[in-house]
Amino acid sequence: MKHGIFYGRSRTLLAQAAACAVLALSAGAALANEVAELRVLAHSSFTVPKPLLAQFEKDAGVKLRITKAGDAGEMLNKLILTKAKPIADVVYGIDNALAPKALAAEVLEPYAGAAAGRSSPVPMVAPLVSVDYGYVTVNYDKAWFAKSGLALPKTLEALTQPAYAGLLVVQNPATSSPGYAFLLATIGTLGEEKAFDWWGRMRANGLKAAKGWTEAYYTDFSRNGGKYPLVVSYATSPAAELFYAKDKPTEPPTGSLSLPGGVFRQVEGVALVKGGRSVEAAGKFIEFMRSASVQQQMQTEMWMFPAEAGVALADVMKFAPEPAGFSSPADKDIADKGPQWLARWTRVVLK
Amino acid sequence: MLRAALHTRPAPGAVIRGLLAAVPLAFLLVLLIAPALRLLLEARATGTDAPGWSALWLPWQDPYLRHRLLWSLAQAAISCAASLALGLPLAWVLARLEFPGRAFLLRSLMLPFVVPTLVAALGVLALMGPGGLLARLGGPDLQGSPWLLLYGNLFFNLCVVVRAGAESLAQVSAARLGAARTLGASPWRAFWRVEWPAITPALMSALCLVFLYCFSGFGLALVLGGQAYATAEVEIYTLVAHELQLGQAGALAVSMMTLTGLVAMAYAALERRLATPARADRVLRRVPDGLWPWAGVLAAVAVWGLFCALPLLAIVWRAGLAGTGAGDVWAVLREEDTLQALWNTVRFSALALVLATVLGLLHAFAARRSLLLRALAYLPFVVSPVLVAFGLLLLYPGWTGSFWLLVVAYALLAYPFVAKSLAAALDSLSPRYGEAARTLGASPWRVFRRITLPLLATALRRGMAFAAAAAIGEFAVTLFLSRPEWATLSTLVYQRLGRPGAANLDAALVLACLLMALAFAAFVVIEWQAPEEAAHA
Repeated sequence: MKHGIFYGRSRTLLAQAAACAVLALSAGAALANEVAELRVLAHSSFTVPKPLLAQFEKDAGVKLRITKAGDAGEMLNKLILTKAKPIADVVYGIDNALAPKALAAEVLEPYAGAAAGRSSPVPMVAPLVSVDYGYVTVNYDKAWFAKSGLALPKTLEALTQPAYAGLLVVQNPATSSPGYAFLLATIGTLGEEKAFDWWGRMRANGLKAAKGWTEAYYTDFSRNGGKYPLVVSYATSPAAELFYAKDKPTEPPTGSLSLPGGVFRQVEGVALVKGGRSVEAAGKFIEFMRSASVQQQMQTEMWMFPAEAGVALADVMKFAPEPAGFSSPADKDIADKGPQWLARWTRVVLK
Repeated sequence: MLRAALHTRPAPGAVIRGLLAAVPLAFLLVLLIAPALRLLLEARATGTDAPGWSALWLPWQDPYLRHRLLWSLAQAAISCAASLALGLPLAWVLARLEFPGRAFLLRSLMLPFVVPTLVAALGVLALMGPGGLLARLGGPDLQGSPWLLLYGNLFFNLCVVVRAGAESLAQVSAARLGAARTLGASPWRAFWRVEWPAITPALMSALCLVFLYCFSGFGLALVLGGQAYATAEVEIYTLVAHELQLGQAGALAVSMMTLTGLVAMAYAALERRLATPARADRVLRRVPDGLWPWAGVLAAVAVWGLFCALPLLAIVWRAGLAGTGAGDVWAVLREEDTLQALWNTVRFSALALVLATVLGLLHAFAARRSLLLRALAYLPFVVSPVLVAFGLLLLYPGWTGSFWLLVVAYALLAYPFVAKSLAAALDSLSPRYGEAARTLGASPWRVFRRITLPLLATALRRGMAFAAAAAIGEFAVTLFLSRPEWATLSTLVYQRLGRPGAANLDAALVLACLLMALAFAAFVVIEWQAPEEAAHA
């Protein structure tokens, strides 16, 4: 009776599957009862605590439909590609490095609400309203440097010296926003020619390029078992390391460097999407992102500094000192030459 | 061929096959071909980087892209050869010898499929990376070397060859093998004359999958090999997702598809010719007796350990280690987000599995006599997923982030496993059993239910197990838009690994263990007392 066994089994499997399908369908139907929907597009790092989102839905009388579209660069490209029939009403996560591209593609709509008028320590080019900011910078593994006795590098130039050979891992700027930000910082300080000369010498000195932040930080950084004690990350990463440490140390196990030409200030913004539907609710969402509670709680969720003036910093942020200086090419140059720079970086560092 | 033509009445059969084919074909057209073409059209429309027919040669003219294509080909070919060399002996031991833990070994072989790429990389690096076990034992640090990449390919693909080999070896006719041995053939000779011809269709089908996976795959290769070992698929992904250079991406994608399409066609052509009718008199597994059989079992366990189990054990070990330190790491398992993600993973996978099974069955039966249809079953592996993901956005903006689009995307990437597994089994299905039943008065439906389906059961279960693994492991599904409320376990793992800090790494490892446990449970349910075991009971 082996056939019987097979049949009995497959019938129960099918029955279970059918039950699943019915459940899922009914769940879908329950969602569809008519409340106005606000479509939010965000990059994959977007995290606002659920209770705050629920409160917003209640206050604004809308149902949020948040869609995550990958890395910020990928998200913007999806927005540009669907320009004719926008897939969202409001977009969060376009930063100052991507802003020129977004403006050139004309995918954003002007916004004149209160948040756009309030001053911020980190203003963004309209129609983007800044939400948070952070610094892309080189982080180092304290234990590794203590053990090796090597002095911390003071300049970008030092990293091209034999003593620092094979110590730095960066992200591919074509596939990673911190990687792109770091490339922009070097061009901002050194100028295009000298910057690519530096990248060429870094390649000769054993620079490693990883696909994205996660790959670099979790497989290449010596703190996590890799062999590179220097990694491009954020100035807030040491604070996050402390926050998420298990044995509650008094000092973070990593630190951030403030190398001239090696720091980029990344400002992330929110904006209306051109051709989006619920303009009024979308405006409320922009205000919400600048509200005190989001600005406060976002710090230890997304590990960025608040863009709203006067919002208190989370306690742990004292381990994330803001770098003294930062650099970037002009917006116009980023818009005009960004794609060429990426191609040139690939040629100089990878090919 | 002649026999085949004689024993079916051509006209109604062709109609039925046409109807059967309509469903999977419509599915492929709407969800795969149309979106990919739409994106290629967009490339022509925006046309800054002027794609024309001549553009198809561009990737071959550019030394960098040519290198990418050749490297993709080379590593895929080497991985195929290596997985055959290691997989076949392992499959033979699993098919011929009965030893404790055999079923566990077979099922755990598929776990690499479901582990998120980055976690798998963490496991591999814990063994062979700079601070890994191998380096600590005085061996070399393999990070950034092509060896690690090939190892990664084997880690993922060995199971495809082993499962196909073991299953088809189990169906080799015992009478024939017995006759060969009685007539004085050595085991070696009997293998080449009787077993090898019987298992080639399934093996070649598996190798074809391995080739397509390695050629167009991009997860592990990139993490382990670094940017220097990026495959052409990675290039397409970068061009589309990050640079929006659709023209260049399109040209490269079409070059890739031409190559992989040729492989799929060549294989489909070979597949039927290789087929030999299988018999229902299966070779029984025996308990190892004596030195050589036991040595075989030990060697099999060693291969399994080295190429499949060790990286997984490293993950479990690291998760366990994290659990012994300060702080309650296992608390992550009780979090609301985790439970929600677990439910999402189960729900998406189950729905996708049902859909993939139906589509796979229809496609396999429809494709019995059509070379083109056979090759089309590989289409979801041939067309670059990033083209599909972006094409879907362009073509159906209204479906963006819809529940069913996501389920269908899962099914799309899972159903070729069912279709291919069944197609190979159907080829070796002897028409005589069906004919006999028909002569005795059984209706075609009854023949299908009582004869054909039971004979295909093992292949169907294997196909479903792989489809489940593909769904749970979410190949390329991350390219599609997702909503936070549909976060799956893999998504949670990547979210955790998107932030610095030990607690995040620990949570990611624990979640990966949960994912493995879930997948293992799914394999056990799907293959619960497979008929081959029932036959021995």
